[in-house]
Amino acid sequence: MPEERVLSPDINFIRDLKKVGGETVKKCYQCATCAVVCPMSPDERPFPRKEMIMAQLGQKESLLADPDIWYCHNCNDCSKYCPRGARPGDVLSALRAKFINENAIPSFMAKIVRNPILALAIPFVILFLVLAAEGHLHIPEGKIVYSHFFSIHTIENLFGALVALAGLSYIISLVRFWGKLKSLNGTDYKMKFGDAFVETIVEFLKHTKFTKCEANADRKNGHMLVFYGFVGLFITTCWITFYYYVMKIHSPISLADPMKWWANLSALSLLVGILIIIGNHMKDKGINTKTSSFDWTFIIMILLLAITGLLTELIRLAGIRQLAYPMYFVHLMFVFYTIVYFPYSKLAHMGYRTLAITYYKMVGKDVM
Amino acid sequence: MAIAPDKTVLVIGGGISGVTAALETAEAGTKAVIVERNPYLGGRVAQLYRYFPKLCPPYCGLELNFRRIKENPAITFYTMAEVEDISGSAGNFTVKVKQRARYVNEKCTACNACVEACPVERPNEFNFGMDTTKAIYLPHELSFPMRYVIDSSVCKGKECAKCVEACKYGAIDLDMEDKTIELNVGAIVFATGWNLYDATKMDNLSFGKVKNVITNMMMERLAAPNGPTKGKILRPSDGKEVQNIAFVQCAGSRDENHLNYCSAICCMATMKQATYIREKNPDSKVTVFYIDLRAPGKYEDFYKKVEADENIQFIKGKVAKIEEDPETQDVIVTVEDVANVKKIHERFDMVVLAAGMEPQTRTQRFPGGVTTEENGFILKDKLQDGIFAVGVATGPKDVNTSNQEATASAINCIQTLVGGK
Repeated sequence: MPEERVLSPDINFIRDLKKVGGETVKKCYQCATCAVVCPMSPDERPFPRKEMIMAQLGQKESLLADPDIWYCHNCNDCSKYCPRGARPGDVLSALRAKFINENAIPSFMAKIVRNPILALAIPFVILFLVLAAEGHLHIPEGKIVYSHFFSIHTIENLFGALVALAGLSYIISLVRFWGKLKSLNGTDYKMKFGDAFVETIVEFLKHTKFTKCEANADRKNGHMLVFYGFVGLFITTCWITFYYYVMKIHSPISLADPMKWWANLSALSLLVGILIIIGNHMKDKGINTKTSSFDWTFIIMILLLAITGLLTELIRLAGIRQLAYPMYFVHLMFVFYTIVYFPYSKLAHMGYRTLAITYYKMVGKDVM
Repeated sequence: MAIAPDKTVLVIGGGISGVTAALETAEAGTKAVIVERNPYLGGRVAQLYRYFPKLCPPYCGLELNFRRIKENPAITFYTMAEVEDISGSAGNFTVKVKQRARYVNEKCTACNACVEACPVERPNEFNFGMDTTKAIYLPHELSFPMRYVIDSSVCKGKECAKCVEACKYGAIDLDMEDKTIELNVGAIVFATGWNLYDATKMDNLSFGKVKNVITNMMMERLAAPNGPTKGKILRPSDGKEVQNIAFVQCAGSRDENHLNYCSAICCMATMKQATYIREKNPDSKVTVFYIDLRAPGKYEDFYKKVEADENIQFIKGKVAKIEEDPETQDVIVTVEDVANVKKIHERFDMVVLAAGMEPQTRTQRFPGGVTTEENGFILKDKLQDGIFAVGVATGPKDVNTSNQEATASAINCIQTLVGGK
């Protein structure tokens, strides 16, 4: 017999969960079809049935220390077969959104991210003030060179500081999560952290786990393109810094330059990837079922990041000054959004999922 | 005292509900006519091996009813017949009935000489395709009426006519034609019953792909002495006696992708079938995988009795994956054992899907302005005056409750006929 335990439900947690995309959670009647049809669910303590009842009973603390919600890749085989329309895949997705909000620090940042208008107003004001301080509140004359608008050093200092702050916050959140995971298991590990971590990263690069999805197999392509788009753009940033300081090559850089090829390909990969993801969300869930606002906000922000980035380049090439500089300004707003809100947005799943899979491998539960 | 002896009540469907409704009406003195699609009366009950919870053979009660029908001149019935149109209003309906040709007349003595002569075989739908009959056949051993029938979709007709030669009684008439009959009736009872939900629609349960996965209705036929295995519970792939069997509850029921309601009888039917196996094979083991067990009211006693058998195990968790071991044809089911939070992969000789009841009115349109709710069950309140519905046509239920409804409908009909309400 299972041990006796008194549960104290956190009612607000259930209410919040329903708001961020888990509105179907109470429809679950615990048949456990989901745990069987899920290609990722392990034999020992399988998910997502247990998460569904934990969520119904408002077991916030247990859920926030649950690696299984991160092991889920949201392919929604469970939702397809769910006899009650309880959509376990969406509930787990909402649990991840809740987790990100609860686990990230400082917590007021999470609140800002939940309000997209406020979240974009902040970079607008900051960038506007920076421009004002530099005396650049007008469209510069002559050939379009973006560093005539925001100087390289301003951008570097501003975004360097933002990356450092966001990075610090993110690392603290990850360490917190890892602490919770370690407390689940004690000392019985079948694999070392380093080995498990490397294996996880290699899997990510190949997207092997995504190939197990059946209901939603084409998600792999969208996710992979977005993933490699971001990786490519990160490399671009390093590359351009190298050009500037080591090679003394200043932007705008010729379209024939390999760096430019690389940058444009990465941007396109991001754009195409996010469009595939949008297409899947429309087709997969139908217009009537709503993808959580947490997901949509993120998807739209990434779409706008990619579009404004490409437009900034195209309008510059077309030589329309009056449009180019404002577009650059808007693009920087979205860059700000992506970087500063990283620990509080959907993107934060990257680190949490890495740790969860690493943990799964260490305790010997990984399903491959 | 006969009530409204000049008026007639039409009962659509000759299963247990329809037979009861017609008998109760006729025994009160009013005329009743049954229109039945199959070539025999008795419906689903005729296919059952035993009733729950008393475990008595349903045919016992059916025979009693058939005798009541035979002895009562106020009852007539048409088999192989379907209602095509209903017009008029309470007290005065005109009903058009189409009766398909049986090709065998009342001279038939059920001597079986025709079957021996017939060269054509067909799958036997009475046994869910687990055996075959000839193109001319007796629907089942205890068919009422006890008369053979020709399946015109496979019969070669006059160019063969070997059965006609074989029949000494002149009972086979290959010239028989479909006919349309017009009836004038005062009240109508829908007792249209149900079909078993098509288990191939649940792709993860592999019915039709894994040979040793059968339905609960197939289990009734396997256990029945007049079934395809003469009452031995043998698995389809190799005829091996079943030693270790699993039941998958809610196979299609309580599932918005299939039947969005509880079929009400499958839990009890499974418990009943568990006793078939345990009785026929003392070493056998039974595992029932369920979401919730529903043995309401007095049926709980039956559940307690079945549960007390230590070779019958109940595990909470819905089977969501069924595979075949290609070498042994054993069936491997995957399920989360909810109480132990553990996925199990267990091997069985045979697996029974406790498939649900799908109302006939869900898959077939009926005349008479019948309105159904979203699952296809008839909405009683929306029926026009003088039309009633009973049994599974109005919602999933057991034989007992169906009969109560059917009996009640007799008084409804009679009230309509005498002008009261």
